[in-house]
Amino acid sequence: MFYNYIKIAFRSLMKQRGLTAINILGLSIGLACFCMFTLYAIHEFSFDKFHKDADQLYRVYRWTEDLDGEGVEGDTHLPMPLGTSFASDFPDVEQMVRWKSAWGESFVRVNDRVSRIEVSHVDQPFFEMFNFPIIYGDSEQPLSDPKNVVLTEEIAFQLFGEENPTGKTIEIQFEENFESFTISAVAKNIPTNSSRSFQILGSMDYFASTTYGKRRMNSWNSSFLGVFVKLRKGSGLATNAAELLKFRRKYYPNQEAEIREAGFWDGEGAPVTYKMQPITQMHTEASMPGGDVPSINPRNIWTLLLIAAGVLLIAIINFTTLSIGRSAGRAKEVGVRKVMGSTRMHLAIQFLTEAILLSILSTIVALVLVSVLLPYFNQLSDRSLAFSFSQFPQLGWIVVCLTIITGLLAGSYPALLLSRFRPTQVFRNSIKLGGSNMFTKTLVTSQFVLSSGLVIATLVVLSQINFMQSKNPGFEKENIIIVDAEETDSREIYPRFKKLLSSIPEIKQVAASEIGLGEGNGYSRSGFEYMGSIKQIYEYYVDDDYLTLMNIPLLAGRGFEVERQDGANRSVIVNESMLTDFGWTLSDAVGQVLTGYSNEGNDPVVIGVVKDFHYRPFRELVKPQMFHQFEDYTPFKYFVKINAGDPTQALSKLEQSWTSIVPDYPFKYSFLDDDLNRFYRSEKRFSSIISWAGGISIFLACLGLMGLAALTAVNRRKEIGIRKVLGDDVFGIVGLLSKDFIKLVLIALVIASPLSWYLMNNWLESFAYRISFQWWIFVVAGIGAILIAFITISVQSIKAALINPIESLRNE
Amino acid sequence: MLKLENIEKFYRSGLQKSWVLKDVSVNVEQGEFVTIMGPSGSGKTTLLNIIGMLDESNSGSYHFLDEAVHTFKERRRTDIHKHYIGFVFQAYHLIDELTVYENIETPLLYRNVKSKDRKAIVADILDRFNMVAKKDLFPSQLSGGQQQLVGVARAIIGKPKLLLADEPTGNLHTKQGEMIMELFKSLHDDGMTIIQVTHSEKNAQYGTRILQLMDGFVRADEQVSQQTTIVS
Ligand SMILES: Nc1ncnc2c1ncn2[C@@H]1O[C@H](COP(=O)(O)OP(=O)(O)O)[C@@H](O)[C@H]1O
Ligand SMILES: [Mg+2]
Repeated sequence: MFYNYIKIAFRSLMKQRGLTAINILGLSIGLACFCMFTLYAIHEFSFDKFHKDADQLYRVYRWTEDLDGEGVEGDTHLPMPLGTSFASDFPDVEQMVRWKSAWGESFVRVNDRVSRIEVSHVDQPFFEMFNFPIIYGDSEQPLSDPKNVVLTEEIAFQLFGEENPTGKTIEIQFEENFESFTISAVAKNIPTNSSRSFQILGSMDYFASTTYGKRRMNSWNSSFLGVFVKLRKGSGLATNAAELLKFRRKYYPNQEAEIREAGFWDGEGAPVTYKMQPITQMHTEASMPGGDVPSINPRNIWTLLLIAAGVLLIAIINFTTLSIGRSAGRAKEVGVRKVMGSTRMHLAIQFLTEAILLSILSTIVALVLVSVLLPYFNQLSDRSLAFSFSQFPQLGWIVVCLTIITGLLAGSYPALLLSRFRPTQVFRNSIKLGGSNMFTKTLVTSQFVLSSGLVIATLVVLSQINFMQSKNPGFEKENIIIVDAEETDSREIYPRFKKLLSSIPEIKQVAASEIGLGEGNGYSRSGFEYMGSIKQIYEYYVDDDYLTLMNIPLLAGRGFEVERQDGANRSVIVNESMLTDFGWTLSDAVGQVLTGYSNEGNDPVVIGVVKDFHYRPFRELVKPQMFHQFEDYTPFKYFVKINAGDPTQALSKLEQSWTSIVPDYPFKYSFLDDDLNRFYRSEKRFSSIISWAGGISIFLACLGLMGLAALTAVNRRKEIGIRKVLGDDVFGIVGLLSKDFIKLVLIALVIASPLSWYLMNNWLESFAYRISFQWWIFVVAGIGAILIAFITISVQSIKAALINPIESLRNE
Repeated sequence: MLKLENIEKFYRSGLQKSWVLKDVSVNVEQGEFVTIMGPSGSGKTTLLNIIGMLDESNSGSYHFLDEAVHTFKERRRTDIHKHYIGFVFQAYHLIDELTVYENIETPLLYRNVKSKDRKAIVADILDRFNMVAKKDLFPSQLSGGQQQLVGVARAIIGKPKLLLADEPTGNLHTKQGEMIMELFKSLHDDGMTIIQVTHSEKNAQYGTRILQLMDGFVRADEQVSQQTTIVS
């Protein structure tokens, strides 16, 4: 019996190859999308779960209540002695590893070749606690000697090529000098689903012996490294707030009283304590600002999955509507079978078999599609995913379930509908279907609601990104190259470099700042108490040419020209927002003293006011900010303004000058506008993902429409024939066939527009500076959708209209 | 074998009822070969469908093998279909996607006959109808007469007690029609009860009894005399 179902299913699929192709194409695209997004989701939710006893591993963090309107804060950067005390104070802690991640790249020398590589430091039990397998060398305790280092496969290959480098020596620069280290092991590359990673791993004991380390070894006031612990099985320490608070109070006995006395905190309970985060949550707990690892809000993962499910749904709807459209052609078969003793159940199973067979075929095509498309998807999602059943065994049953569910969803309504036909009706030809029942209409409408909604969302996101990238940030961002001088002896180099560049015609001006602008440059902010209220000010340490180079207009006072001569450090230039925050005005700001800023009594004096400029992304409001002159700070970033036009000439001269002054250090640069545009990387990624989803869903919806139009043309063949005999022309017939569908698309637009605007408005809310209502988006999306739909339908209707009426009437 | 009493059937169109069968009472005994005749639209098909349990009457009672059909649930009706009734249609109604063999086999599938037995039964009937050579063809590759042969084969493969045929020769040439009627006659000789609808006096002579249907009533119900058959 079952074999019979399959046979019939195959034959009826083969009989209508066109429709079958449309169905398989649509379903496989939908399934491929869904598979990739599922893979993405599985990957995101699998982060850090590959460690042996992942459920016993935690990282410790400091939890600070909302002390001064800055919001609650979790910070995973902790002082050096905390880890050891934590391990010795709590018997539940079986193992403890402090993990100091790299601060930028260090210079690493192998055979006189210098490269920039990240060097992190960890405690000895690292490889016992974490599951980073060693492929060469000592797999037990590779860091037992302070002068040992472990490389990842990738770095080993970069430095030594194919050969096994264990036992070899490399030199790493610490505090101006190169030190020799022995490579004791090579670790397998870090899995893509690890929150934390390393390139070269050194011993914490070595770090403790550096000047920097020595000073902080016993200090509870310098927080900079991560503390990971493995708890005894079944330990309740992670949630034992009382014990953790006791620990905090033991090492900071007076702090609570001080905070309360200063009036920062008058709430119940303690203002500062420690908490423990399961490491399996590091990736998805986005609420940890000091998390030190890029995390993702699970809501975003679910949003993407939802979008993918929407695309799949559109493909499923295609199947359903086409089956319904086709049902007129299947009616006779149903009638005959019933007369021969088939029950509804038999028939329902038969039609479901057909749907499932189709979805199995589609899954096969989808898997092929996935393997072709995954590299592109990886680019979109900024991941390096592999569709690997061995890495994610759950993919196996997900794919199987997905196939069956898709088949059932797609096939159940048609099965229900078809199996309900009564033979007497069928044989009297009184079944009237053909893509025009209410159910089909609703489905087609919802397809277009989904797809045009996605298109509208895409347009909103794109115009917001365009708005942010093209809006004037209040300073000059074109033709400025940032030269990265971090890790060099920049205080000494900068004046020489600047002098050398002054003679190059392609270069207009040079200035320096301690940190750059744009994504990945961080910021520094200081908080102090001014006249009884807590102030948080963004600070930029710049030289006297910075403001002119950047074209940031001064509204009052002067720039730093004088300070160049006397070297004083008490002058600051503030922005307009800071005026408002501090209650000053343009006329009385100059000369104000920032009392409370420094403990030594030499508080800064305001010498100028600049117009607000957007040093942070347009997501954020411009906050109070000020410029300082250098004193202790080093000009790590050189801002070089070049002539407009092709930058290659200027770049090569820059590089020449750099190597003539610092031959040992690689020349590293970026363009300011690129750095700024990278602020919006995640928005861009989002926009490319939804624009793909939008494009695909429109394509799928039209594919379905095409099939339906073809079916309608077939089902109404006789009517078309009669109309033609009565004198109707091709236009009239195309109009007749298109009218109903276009009406549905219009209804869909009317539903989708407010809905998507409402949702996208929520999204826009997270931007301090955003586009306002853009009516053209709806017009473009609307005209686009109608046009595409109309073209799709016309192709079919014209074909139907051109058929000789005698052909179509003869058959009846 | 079956007993219809005071069968009424109407269709609603809007508020109006249009009557097809007003008061039909018929008794058919096992082994009869009944022909229903009457003008177009007189309700022949409707009556046959009611007898075949594809349709229900609006009132009246219907007993099939002493069971009250009008009280049946859908399940039981399907069962009766399966085991007691075979249908032959004017338009053959073969399933286009299935071969001759598979078309004939289909009723057995719904009766859960084992695969081996199925093969034997289908082979038997193919043999009997002289269609072995055509078993792998699809309906579209056959002539109308051959298609109707398949239709009859399919109708009787489950050894029904009752064969219902609605204008079985309506679409056929005279020659092919005769072949089908001869087949019916031999089935009848083997003991099958047959009810057919036809417009042709000649075809009616193959049967044993003729019902004349008109204006919703049975206007005439007469036995066919052996003589007439011979004369024709
Ligand atoms: N499902 C139906 N709905 C409405 N009218 C019907 C239906 N079935 C049959 N009729 C009407 O009932 C009458 C008898 O039909 P039918 O039994 O097919 O006649 P016959 O087979 O004798 O030509 C016809 O007038 C037909 O239009
Ligand atoms: Mg009829």
